[in-house]
Amino acid sequence: MKILEANAGPLTNFEVLDFLRSKGAAKDPTRVLAKVAPSEYKVYDYLNQTPASYQTREAIIEFVDKSKKYDLAKAEILNIVNLRPITPVEIFPIIEESDVRMGDDGIQELTKMVEQVFPASQSTSVVAPKECKEAEAMEKEEGVGGADEETMVTT
Amino acid sequence: MFYLSRIEHTLRVPPSMLHLPILDAIKGELEKLFLDKVVAKLGLCISVYDIRSVDGGFIFPSDGAATYKVVFTLIVFRPYAGEIIIGKVKESDANGLRISLGFFEDIYVPIHLLPSPSEFKPDPKNGGKRRWVWDYDGQPYDIYETDEIKFRIHSIDYPAIPVDQQPNESNSKFQMEEQPKENVNVKPFAPMVVTATIDYDGLGPVSWWDGSGDADADAEAEAEEDS
Repeated sequence: MKILEANAGPLTNFEVLDFLRSKGAAKDPTRVLAKVAPSEYKVYDYLNQTPASYQTREAIIEFVDKSKKYDLAKAEILNIVNLRPITPVEIFPIIEESDVRMGDDGIQELTKMVEQVFPASQSTSVVAPKECKEAEAMEKEEGVGGADEETMVTT
Repeated sequence: MFYLSRIEHTLRVPPSMLHLPILDAIKGELEKLFLDKVVAKLGLCISVYDIRSVDGGFIFPSDGAATYKVVFTLIVFRPYAGEIIIGKVKESDANGLRISLGFFEDIYVPIHLLPSPSEFKPDPKNGGKRRWVWDYDGQPYDIYETDEIKFRIHSIDYPAIPVDQQPNESNSKFQMEEQPKENVNVKPFAPMVVTATIDYDGLGPVSWWDGSGDADADAEAEAEEDS
C-alpha cells in the first residue's frame, strides 16, 4: 500500500452523509440488503444526529459565499458548517480570538447568518409553531377565498 | 473531520470474485481490506469513495488469482488539532473521560485538560457512582455518563503495534491468580488515540451552555413527571 495523497480534500459531515445515502443507507430499513457495511452504518447513525442531516448542498455553498467577508480560515468554516453554532458561546471555541477578530457585533451577525442559512430541522419545536401559524393563516386565506367565491356564485 | 485520501495498492482478487464485474470485485476486496481499519498517519477508513485506475491483472506463478494495481480514494476519519466535535461520554474514571462517536471510541480527556478545578466525586443520586464535577465559583457542574459533550481535539497519536509478548508467567497456579490483578487497568491496544480538551468556554457537556441551565432542566424534568 502506498499513500499517494493523504489529504486529497476535506469533506463536510454533509458530504459524507450524502455519500452514504447515495449508497442506499437511508432506504434499507433492514440494514442487510444495501451494500453498506456495518461500520458505515455507525457513521451514518452518528451523522444523522448532527445538523448535517438537514443541510443541503446549496445552503453550504451559500454559507461559504456569505462567510467570505468574515475572513475565516477554511478549517473554521468547515467546523461551523458541521456544528451549526447559533449562539455566541458556540462560536468562541470554533473561531480563534473571535472577539478580537470580529467583535461582539460580528459574532452576533454570524450566528444570525448561520441560523438563516441553515434553518432548524422540522422536528425541533422552535420552528414548528411558526410554521403551524403560517399554515393556519394560509387556510384562513383559502377559507376567505372560498367564501368570496360562494358570494360570487350567489350574486 | 473527514478527508479524502488517495491510495495505491497492489490488490489480489481471488478467483471466486470472477463472476462479478471487475470494478465491483475490486471494490468489494478493498472494502474487506480497509473498512473500519486505522491506517497509521492516515486515520480511520470509513468508505471507498471511488476507484481511479486499475492496472495489470497479472497472475503470479503458482497463484490462481489476478493481481491488480489499483489507485483509489478513501473517505477517512482524521480529526485535526483544534477541531470541535460533539460526542457522547462513554465512561469516566479517575484518569479522566472517555468519549465515543459511535463509530470511533478512542477519544480521551485526561485530567489536566478538564476544566479546573474539577473533582472526581461520588454521585449520591446514582448509587454513589463517581463522576467528574467542575466547580465553577462554588457552582457544581456535573459530567454524567451518556452526556452529549463538545470537545476540542488536542492531539492524535498512532501508537506502534505492540510486538513484545507479555513477560512469561510462571506455571504455578498460585502466581497465575495473582498476575491479573496487576493487569486489570491495562487498556486494549488502540491504533489511533485522540486526546481532547474541554477546558474552554463553550466546551463540555452541551447542557452546560444551551442557556436553559440546570434549574430549568430540573423544572422540565419535574413537569414531564407531573404530566
